[in-house]
Amino acid sequence: MFNDTVVKEIDDIKSRYPDRKSALLPSLYVAQREFGWLSSEAMESVARALNVPESVVRGTATFYAMFRHAPAGRHVIQLCTNVSCMILGAEQLVDFLKSKYGLTPGGTTEDGRFSLVIMECIGACGTAPAMLVDTDFHDNLSEKRIEEILEKYK
Amino acid sequence: MITLTINDKEVSLDRPMSVLEAARQAGIKIPTLCYHEALKPYGGCRLCVVEVERMPKLQTACTLTAADGMVVRTESEMIAKVRRGILEFLLINHPLDCPYCDKAGECELQDLVNKYGATAGRYREEKRKVPESHKDHILTRNMERCIVCTRCVRMCNDVQGASAIAMMGRGGHTRMEPFSSASFNCEYCGNCLSVCPVGAILSRLYIHSFRPWQVDTEVETVCSYCGVGCSMVVQVRDDLIKRVVPRMGLGLNRGLLCSRGRFGYEYIHSQDRLKTPLVRRNGKLEQATWSEALRHVAERLTGIKKADGGSAIAGIASARCTNEENYVFQKFMRMACGSNNIDSLSRAGFAAAQKYLEELLGQGITANMIEGLKNSEVILVAGGDPGTVNPVLGLAIREAFRRGAKVAVVGHARGLERFTSIRLTPPLFREEEFLEELLAGVSRVRGLRGEKLDVDRGIRAISDAYPGISGLEGFDELKHALLDSPSTSIVLGSGLVQHSRGHRAIFAVAGLTYLLEARLYLLAERPNEQGLIDMGCVPEMLPGGRPLNNHDYTRKFEEAWGGPIPEEDGMTLMEIMEGAKEGRVRALYIMGDNPLVNLPGGPLIEEALKALDFLVVQDMFLTETGRMADVVLPAVGWSEKSGTYTNIERRIQLLRKAVGNSSGMEDWKIINDVSGMMGYPMAYEDAESIMDEIARVSPLYRDLTYREIGKGNSLWPYHGEPLRGEIHELPAAVNGTGSYTANFYLAPEKVLFHSGTTSRHSQALMRICPEPVLRIGPAAADTLGVREGDRVKVSTSSGSGEFPLSIDRTISDNRVLLSNNFEGSGVLRLMSYRLDPVTRAPGIEGCEATITRL
Ligand code: SF4
Ligand code: SF4
Ligand code: SF4
Ligand code: FES
Ligand code: FES
Repeated sequence: MFNDTVVKEIDDIKSRYPDRKSALLPSLYVAQREFGWLSSEAMESVARALNVPESVVRGTATFYAMFRHAPAGRHVIQLCTNVSCMILGAEQLVDFLKSKYGLTPGGTTEDGRFSLVIMECIGACGTAPAMLVDTDFHDNLSEKRIEEILEKYK
Repeated sequence: MITLTINDKEVSLDRPMSVLEAARQAGIKIPTLCYHEALKPYGGCRLCVVEVERMPKLQTACTLTAADGMVVRTESEMIAKVRRGILEFLLINHPLDCPYCDKAGECELQDLVNKYGATAGRYREEKRKVPESHKDHILTRNMERCIVCTRCVRMCNDVQGASAIAMMGRGGHTRMEPFSSASFNCEYCGNCLSVCPVGAILSRLYIHSFRPWQVDTEVETVCSYCGVGCSMVVQVRDDLIKRVVPRMGLGLNRGLLCSRGRFGYEYIHSQDRLKTPLVRRNGKLEQATWSEALRHVAERLTGIKKADGGSAIAGIASARCTNEENYVFQKFMRMACGSNNIDSLSRAGFAAAQKYLEELLGQGITANMIEGLKNSEVILVAGGDPGTVNPVLGLAIREAFRRGAKVAVVGHARGLERFTSIRLTPPLFREEEFLEELLAGVSRVRGLRGEKLDVDRGIRAISDAYPGISGLEGFDELKHALLDSPSTSIVLGSGLVQHSRGHRAIFAVAGLTYLLEARLYLLAERPNEQGLIDMGCVPEMLPGGRPLNNHDYTRKFEEAWGGPIPEEDGMTLMEIMEGAKEGRVRALYIMGDNPLVNLPGGPLIEEALKALDFLVVQDMFLTETGRMADVVLPAVGWSEKSGTYTNIERRIQLLRKAVGNSSGMEDWKIINDVSGMMGYPMAYEDAESIMDEIARVSPLYRDLTYREIGKGNSLWPYHGEPLRGEIHELPAAVNGTGSYTANFYLAPEKVLFHSGTTSRHSQALMRICPEPVLRIGPAAADTLGVREGDRVKVSTSSGSGEFPLSIDRTISDNRVLLSNNFEGSGVLRLMSYRLDPVTRAPGIEGCEATITRL
């Protein structure tokens, strides 16, 4: 269940919408942040906090691709492999992540530090290849830059 | 007036509707899959596409509002091609397992593919694989067959209000989940099943046991479980009920059913049914022939009547029995046995409230259409959970809430948890004071009405005794809502009636009803609680609610019945029991009830039944009470007989016989025969001949016939003459109250899935809800240090029992709830009672309990 600060945060989200169902997506993000992924407990907590039926919470959570339904590493890397990024070497970067960190798309490192998700275009084609680490944006990637960047995420 | 042209036919509409509905009204069929008449249009399947002149693209008829001058075509080369295309798409994933699927023969997809094609698919990819799920007790789910029409989701969310189904995932992998599992609150209404167009949701009760076209007969009848009286269709093959289905648009329930009605029919074919009469010989119940048993009953009753007079005989009628049976029963008690000692277990709830309300406000005060709830602006619910006692009535309240009505709940009503606008929790067992306070508050503003002077007098006394204000959370909001409401309904359950000060709660409710001109609804646990009273199965009233002490009325009945009606006042239910214990009542005749389990004060009831010289029990099963009887007579049930029930709206409805393979006899027939042997012949031919007599002798049922009743619109006051109220007793001075300071109080819980004897013999209902569970609130659980599923021992001054525990978030006080629906473990036998001095209902409030963890 959510702790008091999170309950407050969700109350605040609720207050911004005319009805409770509208607060569902932002609340699911909060739950994902808190639990790392949308476990049954996470979705139940959202249902309780919003007093929305659990079925509605589950239905919504499984519809959107940005919600995780399995535990993820502490940091989630979302790497784009769409056209621009691909042309500029994103696929080699995928291989690099695998050889260097043992990280496969959809997988998590053994130490639970990183998870990798392959993304569709994140709108950074001009400075491709690009990725998100958690909510931080990084572009102009190369193997070396990735190594440097990931150093900062423990 | 809107006039449009559909397929060259001119169609005029008297109200706005969709093109689809307009076409249907004109007898033109447009194929659909996601449309369902009970649901809001969705526009998802695109099968209903039509051409509309001056509209460039095809339009979905289900979502397109018919407009004046529209010119619509529902079939064309292009339309057929589109439909064929859609169906081909659906068949990409839909398996072609019709030969194995129960739905074949009544599958909408099968029918459409038959009509439009495609006969062969062009897709070579693998079909989606989802294993069929049999995990559930009742519903089989085959999500391979699902065509994502969302009818089940819309039904469960928007109509049933259980919100137990969601669309999970997306795209081609969307599936409907999870239907049932405790956390999702599936109510097992099966309404999702009735709207699924394909074989994705099926009932395990009849899976793979027959084909829809193999049904021999279909009988339209009404449900035998509660006082709502839902219409339903019983489908029979080889004299066995194959299934119970609703018919959309039929009856007051318009195609909705609850779990009991839909899945609770198996008791009819239970192996445990009584097969022959039983007669006690040398202390043991032994099989006997009908003639032996009936003769024995007649002889013993005649003997006791001769020796001690008719008043030594008493009868308990049943709200499970039809009007005809109850009419014959009271006539038998009065005329053959010479006794007015006739009552029923309804005295412990519905009948007690109903009679007092009518004395106050006049006959017919509770005769309100359930439909009317939907149009109410404010609904006040007190003393029970409509969602479990009368589920389909509960749906009307949920609908009103969704529409924006304010629903105020006094106390605890789990079925309205997400449908409550104002929650009021007055101190436990002192709800009557809260209602009186509310009445005082309302009357301060509204003033008296001056129509019923006695009621006005009672209200004045209450408003003199109370300030009409209260610090209770929600009180002011409710008071103002009631005062501002243009249309108010009040729903009263038996929880506040089974109270030694219950008449005060009832008076307060009557006062509110009167001042606010509200519609009043009384929850009724059994199908014929109203009919039972109307048929005269109360000591002081003859059929039609005519009081016994009025000679103008009695004379008419005496003429028709050919003899004098006994003058001595009859005893009410608990007085009969006490009389039996003291030896004043020597013989008791029970038709279709089980007082040993269904009444509080277990030890006293047992003593009373033991003290009797002669006990007759008519039932379908050998009940706990039956085991103590001298003679047990097997009766037939619900779908095995014809007759009528009067529901809570006072609508009289026809019960029709569907099967007839059991060895029991109809209740009226048994009594008819015993009566003849006792020298008071009745000679009825069938149930209809009884109704003919009722229509002749009772001014309330004048001219009623089965023909008319069969049409389903026999509404109060029929063609009859209702009586105005005649007040006997106003509530006692309003000061006495109790003090309730124990840690826990035991109270009965009404379970959605059970009713008692019959539901216990329905396997499906037993699978859903197999054992009694003790429910306590989260705070109480913390104090006790117990968790969900722990076993606990509950003790009261009358006994104890061990149960698994469940924590119920909707309980916010120190009440502990236990159901009364399981053999050998009822809650009522753990409770003692005190009679309400006015209604004579047994009050069971304030039953202190201790709970220990095992
Ligand atoms: S049975 Fe009723 S409550 Fe359960 S999933 Fe189906 S519609 Fe919903
Ligand atoms: S399960 Fe049936 S009703 Fe529900 S979406 Fe699928 S096909 Fe439609
Ligand atoms: S609401 Fe009552 S009458 Fe209707 S199906 Fe359920 S038990 Fe039967
Ligand atoms: S293609 Fe990678 S950011 Fe647009
Ligand atoms: S019935 Fe109209 S779109 Fe499905």
